[in-house]
Amino acid sequence: MIDSVIREANLGDVPFLVDTIIEAEKSGTDKLSYCTIFGLSVEEVKRYLTEMFNEEIDGCELSVSSFMVAEVNGQVAAAASAWIEGIDGISSSVLKGNLLSYTLPKKCIEQATSLNPIIRDLHIEYIPNTIQVGSAYVSDNFRGNFLCGFLIRKKIENLLKSRPDISEAFAQIFECNLSSIRLCEKLGFRKVMIKESLNDNVLNYLPFNRKILVKNELIIK
Amino acid sequence: MERTELVTKLTAVFRKVFNNDSLVLTDELTANDVDNWDSLSHMLLITEIENTFSIKFKLKDLNKMRKVGDMIDIIMSKF
Repeated sequence: MIDSVIREANLGDVPFLVDTIIEAEKSGTDKLSYCTIFGLSVEEVKRYLTEMFNEEIDGCELSVSSFMVAEVNGQVAAAASAWIEGIDGISSSVLKGNLLSYTLPKKCIEQATSLNPIIRDLHIEYIPNTIQVGSAYVSDNFRGNFLCGFLIRKKIENLLKSRPDISEAFAQIFECNLSSIRLCEKLGFRKVMIKESLNDNVLNYLPFNRKILVKNELIIK
Repeated sequence: MERTELVTKLTAVFRKVFNNDSLVLTDELTANDVDNWDSLSHMLLITEIENTFSIKFKLKDLNKMRKVGDMIDIIMSKF
């Protein structure tokens, strides 16, 4: 096994967390929804994601505090995120929506308005008081070491220390993202729902037209 | 602006964003109670509210909005 240090992420890790969000969103394709939905270049997406992480809002997929990172030889090699849904009585979707509306230019929001009905079909609600696994990514040089698996497992353990009453963890994955599906299966997650969009245009904006919800009955505690 | 007038205007905004003509706002309503209230819809909702009422929220305002009643109070405070 590779010699790594697992720790909570901090603001110094933001550039790697931005890459993590981007690669996870692409789900192994070249389709980055932040670009297609908001009409942004990859460089602009990186800049806005950095701004949103730097706001240090806790409790959603764009929160530094949701992430753990793995360091190998002093270099960040992998990152993964998870959070407790609705921990302060406010859903992670609302927190992320707040960051998007506050950070992105008006023209991005206008473009997204027309696309909302197209991508709405794939929406899966987050259940309050459950653990939601967000993004995971490992650099090419460090693949094959189960680093993302260790990170997700450790993050769930840490979240359960503060909320031992929580009994379920979920992850939402595009069905084309076979490596993430296999990773979750190794961690004990099982498929519980499939959402499909029959809209012909959805593949112009999202990596795939089917999304799966996987669930883990937590026995780590 | 009176609260009643504000709620009427806000209801129209919600019905437009969530494409639901029967949506009724209550102070206790949250994102968990409304179908399709995801991050993108929320972003559109906030933008539509800002345009309708000619206001601009601060991020700290937005993150205090746990339920519709909070949202109404914060919009009221802008006038």
